[in-house]
Amino acid sequence: LSVIIFGPATADFLGELGAEVIKVEMPGQGDVTRILGHEGCFWKNVSVAFFPQNHGKYHIGVDMHHAEGQALIRKLVARTDVLVENFKPGTTEAKWGLGYRQLREINPGLIYVANTGFGQWGPFAEGRASYDGLAQAVSGLSAISGFEGALPIKSGNYLGDWFGACLSAMGVLAALHWRDRTGEGQFVEMAQCEGLVRALDWTWLYAGLTGRDRPKTGNRDPVFVPSGIYACRDGHVAIVAGKDTEFRGLAEALGRADLADDARFATAESRRRPAHADALDALILDWCARWSRSDVEAAARHHGFAAAPVMSARDQYEDAHFRARGSVEELDDQVYGRVVDYGPAPQLSATPARHKWAGRPVGWHNRHVLKGILGLPDEEIADLERRGIVGRWGDRRGARPPDDWSGEGDLL
Amino acid sequence: MSEAAGRGEARWADWARAAEDPRRASEKPEALDGLLVLDCAVAHYGGHVLGGFLGELGAEVVKLEPPGGDPARAWGPADAGLRGEGLAYLAEGRNRYYATLDLTTPDGQALFRQLATRADVVIEGFPPGQMDAWGIGYRQLEPLNSRLVYVALSTHGQFGPRAEGSGPEYDLIDQALSGLAYITGEPGEGGPEAGPTRVGSWISAYAQAAWGGVATLAALHWRGTSGRGQMIDVSGAEALMRYLEYTLLLYHGSREVRERLGGMDIAVSVYTFIPVKDGWAFIAGYTDPNFGAICRIMGRSELAQDPRFRTTLDRTQPDRRVALRDEIARWSVNYTASEILAKVLADPGPGTVVFGPVNRPTQTLAEDHWWDRGCFARLDDPVYGPLTLAAPAWRMTRTPPRLKVPGRPPGFHTAHVYARHLGLGPTRLTELRARGII
Repeated sequence: LSVIIFGPATADFLGELGAEVIKVEMPGQGDVTRILGHEGCFWKNVSVAFFPQNHGKYHIGVDMHHAEGQALIRKLVARTDVLVENFKPGTTEAKWGLGYRQLREINPGLIYVANTGFGQWGPFAEGRASYDGLAQAVSGLSAISGFEGALPIKSGNYLGDWFGACLSAMGVLAALHWRDRTGEGQFVEMAQCEGLVRALDWTWLYAGLTGRDRPKTGNRDPVFVPSGIYACRDGHVAIVAGKDTEFRGLAEALGRADLADDARFATAESRRRPAHADALDALILDWCARWSRSDVEAAARHHGFAAAPVMSARDQYEDAHFRARGSVEELDDQVYGRVVDYGPAPQLSATPARHKWAGRPVGWHNRHVLKGILGLPDEEIADLERRGIVGRWGDRRGARPPDDWSGEGDLL
Repeated sequence: MSEAAGRGEARWADWARAAEDPRRASEKPEALDGLLVLDCAVAHYGGHVLGGFLGELGAEVVKLEPPGGDPARAWGPADAGLRGEGLAYLAEGRNRYYATLDLTTPDGQALFRQLATRADVVIEGFPPGQMDAWGIGYRQLEPLNSRLVYVALSTHGQFGPRAEGSGPEYDLIDQALSGLAYITGEPGEGGPEAGPTRVGSWISAYAQAAWGGVATLAALHWRGTSGRGQMIDVSGAEALMRYLEYTLLLYHGSREVRERLGGMDIAVSVYTFIPVKDGWAFIAGYTDPNFGAICRIMGRSELAQDPRFRTTLDRTQPDRRVALRDEIARWSVNYTASEILAKVLADPGPGTVVFGPVNRPTQTLAEDHWWDRGCFARLDDPVYGPLTLAAPAWRMTRTPPRLKVPGRPPGFHTAHVYARHLGLGPTRLTELRARGII
């Protein structure tokens, strides 16, 4: 029952692993990510922002503001394993009678997952909405990222949504493991701010012990030195030489094998002193400027330190390694044609994760779900459609199928 | 309707608080109780975090370190440590039994095989093929324990052109490959502060641990019906890359390469960092009613009718996105973050504004909300002393996760682990110790 990213991605991750996912949206426009973005974000009548968290789902359009819409959801919940929502706390209960307290009466085995910014309860939980950018800000992530004295850094992706969704899916699976053993369902909640709080490694331990904020170290890893992001002739590379053996290799590549025996650089501890690290940075910067990214990568392989290109979308699109692993995949989709996008992240040997089809317009599978799954009579479905309780996409950009859609692909 | 809701007994928030209350977790069972996890992630933070995640959810996790300790124990800030260790290890060392075992020797490998025969999950983060070369990789363990779920973590994954011969995993390398570094930071390339930028924590380790956890639990679910385990391969670069949303599809659809936008966003506006009197803050309202609410709170309702900003598409055009941010910044610099938050919360609607300060960690720690929810824990640990740690992120009504023990020195539980799982007593352990196996 969720929109935007945090909830839909939770369900998508379960879908990648084989769960049958039904996405419920308002008839007409549907999920707001369908219309987001500047001109260039629109692709085949819908924003590209919609697809990455909506693979292989069954899409139905149901107006949950209507009592009969709510009744339809209850019928589905009676046979559902997991329900995902990301509304403000208490919304599903107060507005639609579809809260956990109500639905567990219908289905005690239900695992009900509620994703929010600040949680279901607590001083900030009531009245404060959240987006990913807010979670990055209030969690402390932005303040520990970037360069000392420079602007706070917002992670370029919606990190709080995606990482939160991944943890949320993990919470669901833990609850499912429990249900497999006992038959018991439960309520699971995940707050995106708290997900990011959990992802800041030693930040809290340091603050608790010293009373200080951890210093920002820019692109230098706080532990492994030398490290950083350096400009090459054709883009940027990341380089890390944390171990002494790796540093010796880097020093050789720089044509300065002597550095490995220099007291300032010989040990990891000494390399971490800011003045020593800065001196190495200057040498590496100078060296990288003379080479291409692939030269640096080849040198790293040869000399035994770590280096990788800072990859843009184009780099990833053209990358043979990601293609070979399916982490950049080409989907042959019945409605959207050739879709090149990120594939599932984990590789499972016996039960591989997969994307089966791309997102679909709102209500695409109404008949499949209402008739094929619930078995509602045709006249009842027609009546629900006539009264707008069940509906499909509106005839506007962001909602309608691609112009070249053949009219095929519905299941019933 | 449920009885409770029908009788109006408890507000939702009060019910949820009582049902989830992390302080009362010990009254309830644990989701993964009864699972045995061998965490032999050495010098590998993603594996270390994954062991903690599974431990928080109730699994029995045994950390196997080389005698002398995991090199990762040295990792942390230069200016703070505990018992001669860096802070990174302890930050994620929770809920584990710490034993030592030398996996490089035949006798150590034999002991490992015995443990793996009884285990449900093995976690490792060595360079691809290392465990296999030691004779204790998935291929060798599967015949001994066909129910085993084996999780291998690395930068490039276990196969593919870059995997062969690859070295230890580093977060910065993962951030670069994932595409995250490219889209993070200020626009342009004028010097290091306006180029690709690293996210401050070891975020790829967390992404990898989360994916490792998802895949492990999915594999255990499938094992319940099939009786069979499997191998899981998680690349830290790919773990993070899957969080890059439409970056790749934008290129596929329009050949547009997503670039850095600093504190702004390409798909939505208003959605940006703004300066405030006492620092920085985040503000968002991108649908029409929500943007209208921002304008109203600023006392600039006419801005919502400005032809440059009337629709979401207008507001998202690159030049207007910047113009709009600047309009808001001219207003926001006159108020502190808490003054603006008060205005946001007092606004009657319609529309919702999302707003909050860019907190430094010590500011986050000073907010009551997180402590009330048990998001942080202060422990007075007999070994490490007073500690401030992030608590488990999930809230679960039936099987709440929990933080039990923050971490222990190397080999702290060696005697317990080998007695419990292999029935080895002190005589045999003394012999193994003398030979440097444990």
